[in-house]
Amino acid sequence: MKSVVLKAALFAGAATLFSSQAQAASCCGGGASSALVLPKFSTAMVDVSFDIEQYDGFWNNTGHHNSDPPGSDLSQYRLNAGYAHRIASRWQASVIMPYVWNNNQHSRGLSTNSDGLGDTRINLWYEAFDGVTCVWKVRKPADLKPAAYFGTTLTVPTGVSLYDDVAYDTDITGLGFYRLDATIFLEKTIYPWNASLLLSYGKYLERAVNRERGHYVEPYDKNLGDRQLVTVSAGYTVFLDSMNTVTYTLALSDLKEDEATIDGRINETSGMKKRSAALIAAYSTMDRDWVFKATWNHALDRDGWGENFPTTNVLTLGVSHVLR
Amino acid sequence: MSYARKWLAAAGLITVLGLSGCQDLSDDLSPDGGDQRPEVAAGSAGSQVSQLAPLFTAVDSLGVTHTLAGELATVDGVVLYFTMWCPTCDSHMSHIRSSLMVNFPNVTFLIVDYVTGSMAVSRAAQLANGYAGFTVLVDTALSLHKDFDGGMGVTVVIDSSGIVQFNEDYKDGVKVRATLEALP
Repeated sequence: MKSVVLKAALFAGAATLFSSQAQAASCCGGGASSALVLPKFSTAMVDVSFDIEQYDGFWNNTGHHNSDPPGSDLSQYRLNAGYAHRIASRWQASVIMPYVWNNNQHSRGLSTNSDGLGDTRINLWYEAFDGVTCVWKVRKPADLKPAAYFGTTLTVPTGVSLYDDVAYDTDITGLGFYRLDATIFLEKTIYPWNASLLLSYGKYLERAVNRERGHYVEPYDKNLGDRQLVTVSAGYTVFLDSMNTVTYTLALSDLKEDEATIDGRINETSGMKKRSAALIAAYSTMDRDWVFKATWNHALDRDGWGENFPTTNVLTLGVSHVLR
Repeated sequence: MSYARKWLAAAGLITVLGLSGCQDLSDDLSPDGGDQRPEVAAGSAGSQVSQLAPLFTAVDSLGVTHTLAGELATVDGVVLYFTMWCPTCDSHMSHIRSSLMVNFPNVTFLIVDYVTGSMAVSRAAQLANGYAGFTVLVDTALSLHKDFDGGMGVTVVIDSSGIVQFNEDYKDGVKVRATLEALP
């Protein structure tokens, strides 16, 4: 079952939180990176994707995988609208806004549906290179230099969280916390192969809480634990006769969130871990102006592949349009 | 470039409209830490702290009937924990077992399953999650959920005179433990 927190998406979003992203291009355009990245020398990019997330049990706090009760059917759908804009030759900014639908049937007893804006992400990227780093052949050591991006992301809690006026935990569309992530993204393409590495560290901002699920409580301060994400990927590009391309990518992610605090005390019942794998197919037009993507993000429902978190599978369909 | 500016303007407009049109958003964007708990008359009927708890009757996953009055007759207090068999619930229940049940033998701990809807499914979930030793009340009609304003992780502590002493999310269990230690 879903932990709202987490979607987080908990719950959420977790929201919201941990879905695959089909919003990417790459340094060269047409690639399959896991972040909303504007290709070099492009002015802007519009990206729209749709996530279908299906819950498949959860890992408990010892890493043991438990199934959902029979008859449970828990799903979340997200429409993600993204826009990236070049603000200088080495700088780009982007914003991603999701709209979330929750559709949950709990065994035979309870059915809940809700929808609303999810948490908004605002990104700023610095590109530590001036030219396109994709090469066809390595002729000199410099050809091995990857495209390096250094970014920061502010997650703004525009969704409806546990601390809003919600009737059920499964109605939430956001986490309720601001978070600031620092990210390093390295990408290298030596056609037809490509590889990438994404390292991200996030810190939530502590907030006051005086309400839980629409029920006012004695006020307290809460903060979620620091968040660490590592994603590695490898891909292969097939050039079609039309010179359009199809890129197939396999990505592996390891996500960890430390324990939360309540009034400064560590909450031993919190924190999470999740490992997942994603298969991505991206079709790009010859000029790399249009990219159509399908992503299947799968979490293994086995012991030891996560802790204290829902196990989910996410299908993402998306399209990106680059404005030169 | 003109396209880009139009898209940016549209995105900004959507953001502003979205934020201004949803009152709930301000709760998270600028959280209010003030105490807004409604004042209730001590001893009145209800599920808030200081109120007299509803005298419920419920059936557990083995078909045994439990009444609040019957439970309170022999113990210092009753704890209700609302579960939906999720990771957070599992973590809380594990903490209840290891940190509270062993230290408060004269308190009855009752798990309230408000999502499965049948004794058989509830019992199966109880066993699959490793809580065979717990008493799980199957809240088929959601009556406990309504009476106590329940939800995932909500924990209610009722003292031996039937007064609600705690009704909040379990969180780290520290306040629940303090409440149990202070039971009359």
